[in-house]
Amino acid sequence: MELSGTPQKTVTARATGLVACTRCARAWPLETEVCGCCGATLVSRDVHSLQRVWALWLVGLMCYVPSNIFPMLRTEQLFSVDESTIIGGAVELAHHGAYGISAIILFASVVIPIGKFWAIAFLALSVRQRGGYASRHRLLIYEVVEYIGRWSMVDIFVVAILSALVQLQGLASITPGPAAFFFALSVIFTMLSAQSFDPRMIWDAEADTEEVSDHG
Amino acid sequence: MAETPPKVEISKTRKRGVSGIAFVWLIPLLALVVAFGVAWQSYSARGPVIIVTFKDGSGISAGETKLKYRDIDVGEVEKIGFSAGLTEVEAHIRLEKDIAEYVDASSVFWIVEPEVTAQGITGLSTVLSGVYIEGSWDEEVGTPSSEFRGSDVAPLIKPGNTGLQIAFRTTTNGSLTDNAPILFRGIQIGKVGRAQIARSGAFAISEALIYEEHRHLINSSTRFWETSGFTFSVGPTGAEIDFQSLATLIGGGVTFDTFVSGGDSVRDGEVFEVYDAKETARSSLFRISEVDPLQISVIFDENVSGLTVGAPVELIGLRIGSVESLSGIVDVNQFGDSRVRLNVIISIQPSRLGMSVDTSPESALALLQERVANGLRARLASASLLTGRLKVELVEVEDAPPARLTQLGTDLPIMPTTKGETSDAAATVEGVFTRINNLPIEELLNSAINVMNSADVLISNGDLQKIPADVSALLGDISNIVTSDDVKNIPVALNATLIRVEGFVAELERQRIAEVLGTTLSAASEAAEAVTSSVVGVPELVADIQTVAQKAATLEFDVLIEELTSLTSSANALVSSPETAQLPVALSGALDQLNATLKELREGGAVQNVNQTLASARTAADSIAVSARDLPRVITQLNGLFAQAGRTIEGFDKGDELSRSAESALRDIAQAAKALEKLARTIERNPNSLLLGR
Repeated sequence: MELSGTPQKTVTARATGLVACTRCARAWPLETEVCGCCGATLVSRDVHSLQRVWALWLVGLMCYVPSNIFPMLRTEQLFSVDESTIIGGAVELAHHGAYGISAIILFASVVIPIGKFWAIAFLALSVRQRGGYASRHRLLIYEVVEYIGRWSMVDIFVVAILSALVQLQGLASITPGPAAFFFALSVIFTMLSAQSFDPRMIWDAEADTEEVSDHG
Repeated sequence: MAETPPKVEISKTRKRGVSGIAFVWLIPLLALVVAFGVAWQSYSARGPVIIVTFKDGSGISAGETKLKYRDIDVGEVEKIGFSAGLTEVEAHIRLEKDIAEYVDASSVFWIVEPEVTAQGITGLSTVLSGVYIEGSWDEEVGTPSSEFRGSDVAPLIKPGNTGLQIAFRTTTNGSLTDNAPILFRGIQIGKVGRAQIARSGAFAISEALIYEEHRHLINSSTRFWETSGFTFSVGPTGAEIDFQSLATLIGGGVTFDTFVSGGDSVRDGEVFEVYDAKETARSSLFRISEVDPLQISVIFDENVSGLTVGAPVELIGLRIGSVESLSGIVDVNQFGDSRVRLNVIISIQPSRLGMSVDTSPESALALLQERVANGLRARLASASLLTGRLKVELVEVEDAPPARLTQLGTDLPIMPTTKGETSDAAATVEGVFTRINNLPIEELLNSAINVMNSADVLISNGDLQKIPADVSALLGDISNIVTSDDVKNIPVALNATLIRVEGFVAELERQRIAEVLGTTLSAASEAAEAVTSSVVGVPELVADIQTVAQKAATLEFDVLIEELTSLTSSANALVSSPETAQLPVALSGALDQLNATLKELREGGAVQNVNQTLASARTAADSIAVSARDLPRVITQLNGLFAQAGRTIEGFDKGDELSRSAESALRDIAQAAKALEKLARTIERNPNSLLLGR
């Protein structure tokens, strides 16, 4: 991040014959297999990273579909049972005038997850395609995705809190619908997917393009 | 960055091999498998969809309304739509798979809604949960079907239910009500379904269900009748009100009894008649269960008014048939004359003659023929003394003229008759009279006498007797008051007064006071005019007068003047005489007094006052009369005076002084006359004013 905005040539650890521990950030000589500091396995480039990213991304997407189809909340009132999906609930809130809450829900449950899917896919593809987009912008996207990913769980928390609070026997009760489960799974898998991404590859891509341009 | 380390060869892969890749891709694979697995499972667990059509939706909603079987959810309405042409509502119901195969063509569906009837409240749970569709099918797998017709109400007979399914038929009103209970000894053993009018409109029909455990109570000789409402009867045991239960009172009900034994067992679908009362149900038992009736013609040649179709035919009091038809018949050949006779066709139930059940009409006819030979005859008898209805009675008449029950060709056999039992009615009347005779009238009279005696004793009681005495004393007191002289005198005195006043007025009239006064006045006015003209002519006359005076200087002037003066003063005295002046005053005083008295009387003054007042009124009237009597005299005097005055003035128009004094005297007289005239006019116009003071 500190490099963003400065058009400097990036020197990767690998280029200097080092391997950084991704857990404790300590740099070791390339041959080191286990971090002497924290015991994490050291690997200069995780070659399976993209596969994992794609696999988990797929699972996350698969879970995201039912999470939007099935009801998120099941509200039982005295005479009526109301089941609302994520988008349906947000629309209903907007109808009742709660535009703020509606916007938050839409943002946390629709915009962020979809943005994450898009961002991860973009990163994974751009690493493959080598170039086209500034590396530090890609890094920024990656960091934003990593940072914001956990906030998608806000929905799940809302559902959990509501279900815990609104349990008035007979009069009204709220229970989480099947969508909550899928949504949580979707968030978890996209987070895992984002984590599986090895951001160092961004720089490799840059280096490769440079190499290519050098050779060219 | 001082020195750049040498480029190192990096092993591109860690030694994980294929397993690493495979492991990662296992996750989405697993997810897929799970997803497909769940999808397939839910799909395979889905039952088929059936379509049930209803007349209206009545609360069914897609995704909520359940299909229940024995109160357990076995399906759900997935979709609601209309059938082609919007004629009906189609509910697409997703069945559960495990029961789907039982839902065959025999299944029935209906909507359960809350319902309040005389029998109770049903479907109460649907008030909160909403309506649901109840289905019923038997426990056997039959031909599958996916389209059904739903009904609005629960069917009476559900598939798979056991019980005797019969139908009721009735021609009476209101005996078949939906869900009405079928009671036996007060216990519900079945129920009636929805009644419908038969296509022909002749009767109402409805299905009915007898619960399985009571099936044996019904056989072919069972008769049903309605128990709705209540019966009220007045009989020798007193008034009686009877109803089965509150539910039947409101909603109606059907009960039954098997009056005779030996009925056949009943199969499903049998139709039973529902009668309006037990009696008709009982009597109907014979009508249907018997062999063809035997029809016999009976010819009466007497008055049959009161005999109607359906009238009973009785044999020694037992009803054995009824009158089928009535018609006139003329047959000269058969009867020897052309009189109109009455041909009554009666139908007789052979079985009620005590013969076995499989009796044929022929054997019954044979039996009757034998009995007729022994004297069995038909006759008319009165069925009811009150209504005058007749019945046909078969009686054995001793030493009857020989006759036979003849059958001529295809005609009906003709039953010989005997004289109508009109004496029967007479006898009954006689019996009534006998009963009246037998009534304990004497006892009644005795007790009446006793009552009167005791009443007498009561009346002759001292206290009671005292009451009239007191009343009589009271009346006496009142009478005394009324007949007291004082009270009595009031009208008399009043009357007398009135008579007097009337007499007075009449006299006044008779004497024509007014007229007299009028003439007097005109005379006075003439005199006055004369005086005036004299006075007018005075200045011219003075000279003549003076000459005359000179001529008359020789006359005895002084005597004349004296005479004139005395005359004038006497006239003055007369005019100012107390009697004349007093007249109006006395009258007015008397009237005032009368008036006051009358007022006192009106105000309830003492009776004595009345007498006093009347006395004074009398005196007043007397004085009026006196004054009135004096009036003519006064007037003649006045007249004389005027004449004299006229003459005098004629004679003495020589001097101013004389004429002036004469003038004043005349004016006084005129005033007095005017006053008199006024009084007289008042009296004449309103004699009552004397009494009333107005």
